[in-house]
Amino acid sequence: MRIPDRRFALYLMTPAALFLAVFVAYPLFRLVTDSFFKISPVVGGPRSFVGFDNYVAAFTSEAFMGAGWRTLAYTVMVVTLEFALGLGMALLFTTLGTKSQVWRTMFLYPLMIAPIVAGLLWKFLMIDNFGLLGTMLTQVGILQNPNQIGWLSNPDIVLFSVAIPDIWLTTSFMCLVLFAGLQNIPGDLIEAARLDGARAPSLLFRIILPLLRPVIAVALVVRGIDAARAFDTILIQTNGGPQSASETMSLLIYRTMIRFGDPGLASAMGTIYLLAMLAIALVAVATIWRPGKDT
Amino acid sequence: MSTAPVQAVPALKDTKQPASARTRRRRGVNREGLEAGRRSTRTILWVLLAASLILYGFPFLYLLLTSFKTPIDTIAVPPTILPKEWTLDNYANALGRGGVLASFINSIQTAVISTLLSLVLAVPAAYGITRYKTASGRVFIMAALVTRMVPPVAIGIPLASMMASVGLSDTPIALSIAHTTISLPLSIWLMSSFFESVPKDLEEAATVDGCSRLGALWRVVIPVVSGGIAVTAIFAFLASWNEFLFALLMTAVRSQTTPVVIANFQTQFGLDWGSMTALAAIYSIPVILLTLLLQRKIVAGMTLGAVKG
Repeated sequence: MRIPDRRFALYLMTPAALFLAVFVAYPLFRLVTDSFFKISPVVGGPRSFVGFDNYVAAFTSEAFMGAGWRTLAYTVMVVTLEFALGLGMALLFTTLGTKSQVWRTMFLYPLMIAPIVAGLLWKFLMIDNFGLLGTMLTQVGILQNPNQIGWLSNPDIVLFSVAIPDIWLTTSFMCLVLFAGLQNIPGDLIEAARLDGARAPSLLFRIILPLLRPVIAVALVVRGIDAARAFDTILIQTNGGPQSASETMSLLIYRTMIRFGDPGLASAMGTIYLLAMLAIALVAVATIWRPGKDT
Repeated sequence: MSTAPVQAVPALKDTKQPASARTRRRRGVNREGLEAGRRSTRTILWVLLAASLILYGFPFLYLLLTSFKTPIDTIAVPPTILPKEWTLDNYANALGRGGVLASFINSIQTAVISTLLSLVLAVPAAYGITRYKTASGRVFIMAALVTRMVPPVAIGIPLASMMASVGLSDTPIALSIAHTTISLPLSIWLMSSFFESVPKDLEEAATVDGCSRLGALWRVVIPVVSGGIAVTAIFAFLASWNEFLFALLMTAVRSQTTPVVIANFQTQFGLDWGSMTALAAIYSIPVILLTLLLQRKIVAGMTLGAVKG
């Protein structure tokens, strides 16, 4: 007795769907439920229903709003720099052709390094006194003394400093995806434009970037989501400090839950954070991708 | 997406004229439109590439060099790039510390279980989605993509308490399940792209010959996509191997993985940079080597996911 194809397909998907339902959807449901309760951090402690109090508390707290803006600034900065550097490298590899293939592989190595290791490594490079970065910049004459820039101790620039390992780790991914996209642009099209007298900048902005639009959309959204969740690299470098100047949303939620022992408030923050990410990702896909206007 | 029709053009060209392309490039005409032709331009570009690769590769090289320094040298002011005296002390210190070797075993266990779990769940699911194109399949792949956005910090605590209630707290199994929530959506996405490229005639022929659909999948389709399965396995493995947040939330002493141990070097024992760099090197080098060996497949996998969308 043969079961219909549709039901067979359903059977094939069921185990994975069940897994995601039990281990992602159910914890998420718990998160949303918890956000309406005041919960004692003690295991088995009392919980009482407080309605939207946790949400009000979140939106009126300076820490939460600050972390929200910092997460946004961090994400925009990381994704923009990665895109610019990744596109530059992808164009470089493309213009050099097949001979650069070995080097293209070498360029991928940071993708395999654990974020925690990358964070520690850059902390070691930027740390006051024995950090190599300050020393090298002094030796080439850019800085007067190695500690002139407090990479991780100056609240004004720390958000930029903690982003460096993230950029270092994943520019390769951006480069890889954009490079693959560049290979799909027909050479004839570029040659035709060259014959018409197009110079490099107009070639880039008028032909290459518009053709890459779908690839760029995917790359930006994938990386944007990851950057907005950044945790490991920041925790290990500054733990959110100094004076919360590098405290992004993941860190704030983690600290609210673990250190300050307020799971209810942390759950409300987590729920708002997730909804905001979904909304921004949808808008980003709709505007950059523009599926209707695809070439 | 729009890449498919565009792709056909260069593919046709390549098969037609591999030999003549070489002669044309020698004359300074581009085969592919974007490749630089003039020798002077190419030289400048090579210099630029060399400079960026040195800049990009230097941080990890410095980590390796530091791991061979003596503990005093490590935090010398001003720092030196090369060790004044080469020594393996940092490695001996790092590996001799309690819990470090056990954490390696935990990391391997967790990553292997998580990889197997991801594959067992993702391969049939992706096949069901791409081969039968049902409405439920479309809904499911969208749902799988949305789970990618869930921040681990949001579900880590509920997951940990769920594991505790079934007596699995602080075990590699619990952590590998948590890691699978990250790698499963990615695996489904990747495997779907690989199944998409298998011609449908293949298993139709097999079913005509009397194979059941499950038999056709197992005996005909899976051998064809074995390269894709390998790529997916590597990604699932790396996702678990390098993961930190779930490991921090869900493990205590028994099942701690190496990333957590590396992070603890900093707080628990003061700033022991030397041992930290040694342990980080030991932990990173196997996966970097593995990746370089399998690079062609990995590059294919990474771009499939993103470019085909």
